[in-house]
Amino acid sequence: MARERWGSRLGIIMAVAGSAIGLGNFLRFPVQAAQNGGGAFMIPYFVALLLVGLPLMWIEWTIGRFGGGFGHSTAPGMFHTLWNKNRFIKYFGVIGIFGPIVIFIYYVYVESWLLGYGYFAVTGRYNSCTTQESMKAFLQGYQGVASNQYFSGLGTAYVFFLLTFAVNLLVLYAGIRRGIELVCKYGLPVLFVLGIVLMVHVFSLGTPDPAAPENNIVNGLGYLWNPKWSALLSAKTWLAAAGQIFFTLSVGIGVILTYASYLTPKDDVALSGLTAAAWNELAEVIVGGSVIIPAAFAFFGAAGTTEIARGGAFNLGFVTMPLVLQQMPWGHLMGFAWFVLLFIAGVTSSISLAQPAIAFLEDEFDLSRREATAIFGLNTFVLCHAAIFFLGSGVVDELDFWGGTFCLVLFATVETVLFAWVFGMENAWTELHVGSDITIPRIYRFIIKYVTPAFLLLILGFWLVQEGVPVFLMEKVAPENTRYVLGTRIMLVALFANLAALVWFAWRRRRAKEAAA
Amino acid sequence: MRLGGWIFLGASWFVILALTAYSMYRVLRTKEQDESAP
Repeated sequence: MARERWGSRLGIIMAVAGSAIGLGNFLRFPVQAAQNGGGAFMIPYFVALLLVGLPLMWIEWTIGRFGGGFGHSTAPGMFHTLWNKNRFIKYFGVIGIFGPIVIFIYYVYVESWLLGYGYFAVTGRYNSCTTQESMKAFLQGYQGVASNQYFSGLGTAYVFFLLTFAVNLLVLYAGIRRGIELVCKYGLPVLFVLGIVLMVHVFSLGTPDPAAPENNIVNGLGYLWNPKWSALLSAKTWLAAAGQIFFTLSVGIGVILTYASYLTPKDDVALSGLTAAAWNELAEVIVGGSVIIPAAFAFFGAAGTTEIARGGAFNLGFVTMPLVLQQMPWGHLMGFAWFVLLFIAGVTSSISLAQPAIAFLEDEFDLSRREATAIFGLNTFVLCHAAIFFLGSGVVDELDFWGGTFCLVLFATVETVLFAWVFGMENAWTELHVGSDITIPRIYRFIIKYVTPAFLLLILGFWLVQEGVPVFLMEKVAPENTRYVLGTRIMLVALFANLAALVWFAWRRRRAKEAAA
Repeated sequence: MRLGGWIFLGASWFVILALTAYSMYRVLRTKEQDESAP
């Protein structure tokens, strides 16, 4: 079966950018910046982009294209190709399929809330909620966490979940060129147009309440951008910046490996990787940094915004923003624009999370796209129900920890060491520059070999001590949620074991084929 | 907003806009060259 290919270079750049641009760009970044030094946060942020973000982008694009040349679209095959003397490294590559599936399980559900809220914005369903408390109750009712005057059960949320899941599967079923590429090529420009419309609208708010003249947009921008130099002396700020760069670029998941595997061996990866990262930064720093915090400040002031930011990204996106947007002129339309923007960001990310598993089934078991998509769809549809029905019992937090944090940092660290030390920096540098349209500064040979792995090990170490160990030991889990969290862990172990068994089976099949030939 | 805030905002926007414009220019220029190649 001939391998699928991207239709154009812009197509894969937009697809990788679409994968990277997600809810975190618009919700997580501004909160992190505001809480970690304001404008001064941008110093460690750009340092981390140069020392971790861009190197990882280039590493993943290069490994992906290299592995694709051997007919592999996923990490098990790619890692085996990089280190073919090691029988076990392919099992480590299972993380590159497992992690995206785990994130997909809850991400697609959260994405469906955006579709629902977009609909509610247009129909004015949440207009009766005029305080943080009532909007929070609306969200909890929608999620089925509480039964109240807004929602009596999960029915509405489930309908939007079904719609969102179907949209994802349709795009995946259409394939790389006619599905993923098409959606990203048209979706991202729409996302940026909506982002610019919202930015202009927020900037033109001025002082919404003349009785509180200090609550205005310029002060709102100041709240986010005024530098607090003392934050630079704190390790927490540097870790937060490195973490933000790491999570925003979609590196360490295995998604870019799969996308890059559909390149031809002579396609450029250096310039394409840089361009995809630049688009992500544009969405994050310029659009993400200009909408939510300044708008929240203009309506709730400094103390209110600090309190809101402490409540986390979801609170900001689903509680504060609807409140803010409905107070703006053309509130219905602005609310709709905000949630459609986030929904597009969500879809272009979730389809990328699904692709490694589908590609694995296609490549290693010679299944058709239709069969692979159907198997993926059936399995994840069942698994998603854990996130839907046990959202309030800590299941999503647990999935996010293992899939969205632990696997990412571990996978990125190992792939960097594998690329720079096992494959060898000489081979790695040559491979990175095959067909390249730019020459990467030679200092990056040193950075990729020494600085990026050291930085990642540092992040891994700090993160394990600060967050990992308490989560491993379930220190923050409420006693009534223990069984749900344990159940989630059992589900995840079973999923990983199944994927590892599939890898074992695929390689046995491959060996049998080679022997027969 | 203080002067420091304007400087960080302006510098960050400038760096990112310049990086995006430069990389897209290079991508599109290469595309044109590829298309005009015999």
